[in-house]
Amino acid sequence: MKMAWQEIMKSKTRYLILGAIIFLISLLTMIISGLANGLSYDNASLIKELPAGTFYMEEEAEGQYNFSSLDGETMEEVETVSSEVMFLSIQMGEIEDADEKRHSVAFVSTANNDYFPSIETGGLVLDASIMEEGITAGDGVTNGMLDHSLTVDEFVEHQKFSHAPVAFINHDDFQRMYSTDDFQLAFIPGDEAPHMDGYNQFTNDEFLDTLPSYSAEQLSLNMIVVFLFVISGMLFGIFFYMINVQKIATYGILKAVGVKTSKLFKMMWVQMFIITVIALLLSVAISQLVGIVMPEGMPFLLTIDSASMMSLVFLVIGFIGSTASGIQISKVEPMQAINQGGI
Amino acid sequence: MSLLTINGLEKTFKHGSTEEKILKGIDLDLSKGDMTALVGASGSGKSTLLTIAAGLQEATGGEIIFDSENLTALDDEQVREIRAKRFGFVFQQAHLVPFLTVQEQLELMLDTAELKWSKEERRQEIEDILEKVEMQHHRDSYPDSLSGGEKQRVAIARAVIHQPEILFADEPTASLDSKRSKEVMRLLTSLTKESSITVLMVTHDESALEYADYTVQMKDGLIEYPG
Repeated sequence: MKMAWQEIMKSKTRYLILGAIIFLISLLTMIISGLANGLSYDNASLIKELPAGTFYMEEEAEGQYNFSSLDGETMEEVETVSSEVMFLSIQMGEIEDADEKRHSVAFVSTANNDYFPSIETGGLVLDASIMEEGITAGDGVTNGMLDHSLTVDEFVEHQKFSHAPVAFINHDDFQRMYSTDDFQLAFIPGDEAPHMDGYNQFTNDEFLDTLPSYSAEQLSLNMIVVFLFVISGMLFGIFFYMINVQKIATYGILKAVGVKTSKLFKMMWVQMFIITVIALLLSVAISQLVGIVMPEGMPFLLTIDSASMMSLVFLVIGFIGSTASGIQISKVEPMQAINQGGI
Repeated sequence: MSLLTINGLEKTFKHGSTEEKILKGIDLDLSKGDMTALVGASGSGKSTLLTIAAGLQEATGGEIIFDSENLTALDDEQVREIRAKRFGFVFQQAHLVPFLTVQEQLELMLDTAELKWSKEERRQEIEDILEKVEMQHHRDSYPDSLSGGEKQRVAIARAVIHQPEILFADEPTASLDSKRSKEVMRLLTSLTKESSITVLMVTHDESALEYADYTVQMKDGLIEYPG
């Protein structure tokens, strides 16, 4: 430990460069991850805010919720299985304000609902993000498929679907707009997930993956994050390899005088740990700051928990990268150092 | 009393399909407290003999008996332990650890030798040895700020601080001028005689021979006996 620190102090520039690279790549990974999570949350906070549970969708819909239909008989059947079941339908649409300005929304209608606001006929509860577009409580809005206007009752936070603000609507109004009395989905909260013939079951995450825009977007962003992790692992390996090559003579002489190879590995691991922890602490702090100053239109979500988990992954990658590059330490022969000359 | 006995030591190097026999059956006895100088032309095998005897290279044949233990039959870890605790080394170059101060170089050697000394004993030993090699004012200096002679004095201090039984010195004065060479040899001799440390030294420096108790001449991988 002492020797590892002594070397860092003696070769400050070398370790500063290594630390700066780890800091930059971990910061980049955390920011991309924050943006990915932010987009994911912006895309589907309606589902993400629900407790863990199971979604049921008609088998014939082949995983596309808007093709699914649960009729009254089916709903009764589901209710006998679980008293906590909630039914919901989601349709992308638009509302028009008094200035005839159109706003995209995701209409959501529910029954047996414990998680979303209850709406009276003619009422509407909107996600608060739509306030930025000039809509306020008490405003009247219209929709081409309804013969009466809807009044904005209130706003709720963090209810978006497919990047659009959710508009919670009474089921009678929903029925008039889309000419169907059926719900698309059933949701049973908790671990209990009874099997029902003719219906596919999905966990919350599996349901999100059925949404084409969500899965494509997340796949791309997650691939970037994975590649950044892989690249950082390679960088760790390459840097420690270069540092170790420069120190072969020193390792050789230390081995010649009887220093254990395990002690040399410990020295390298301690150096990796010190540099990485300092770099990661800075990255976590700055990425949290980025989250605060990020403009509203750029959704960013990086919890301390996920930043800590990513930091742990970086430490593991650093350990693997440095150990792989450090294999050369075990191969160093004392004679190599003696014949190479040195200080 | 013999401390290290070498019997029929052989070493062959392979270069592709060709083989080169460097040591062709060396027999040598080193007695406790004696300084033995190995001399001979370049390529005679003296450095190879020293490094094999010191456990830094493996022999192709023969045996090395150190204090009743056959070094050639021990595994790498056992040999390392002997090197750390019972051997000392001085090389042509000082080979100091670049990121450790003079005092830290000595502390590292004490840690490596795993000596059960108290803090006070360690401190006192370091003080004594620094005084003997006249490096007490450089205790906090790094190797890159020392002259060649100073580095070699630190290397000698590092080689003897853990009180080894044998010191292996491979051309310890080769990189120094004649004045510095004499200083280093006087220091090496006084420190090893004081603690009865056996020394096996390779040298080309004729002036260094006057400090040796015995001189062994090597030629073509064999010891050349007079007459």
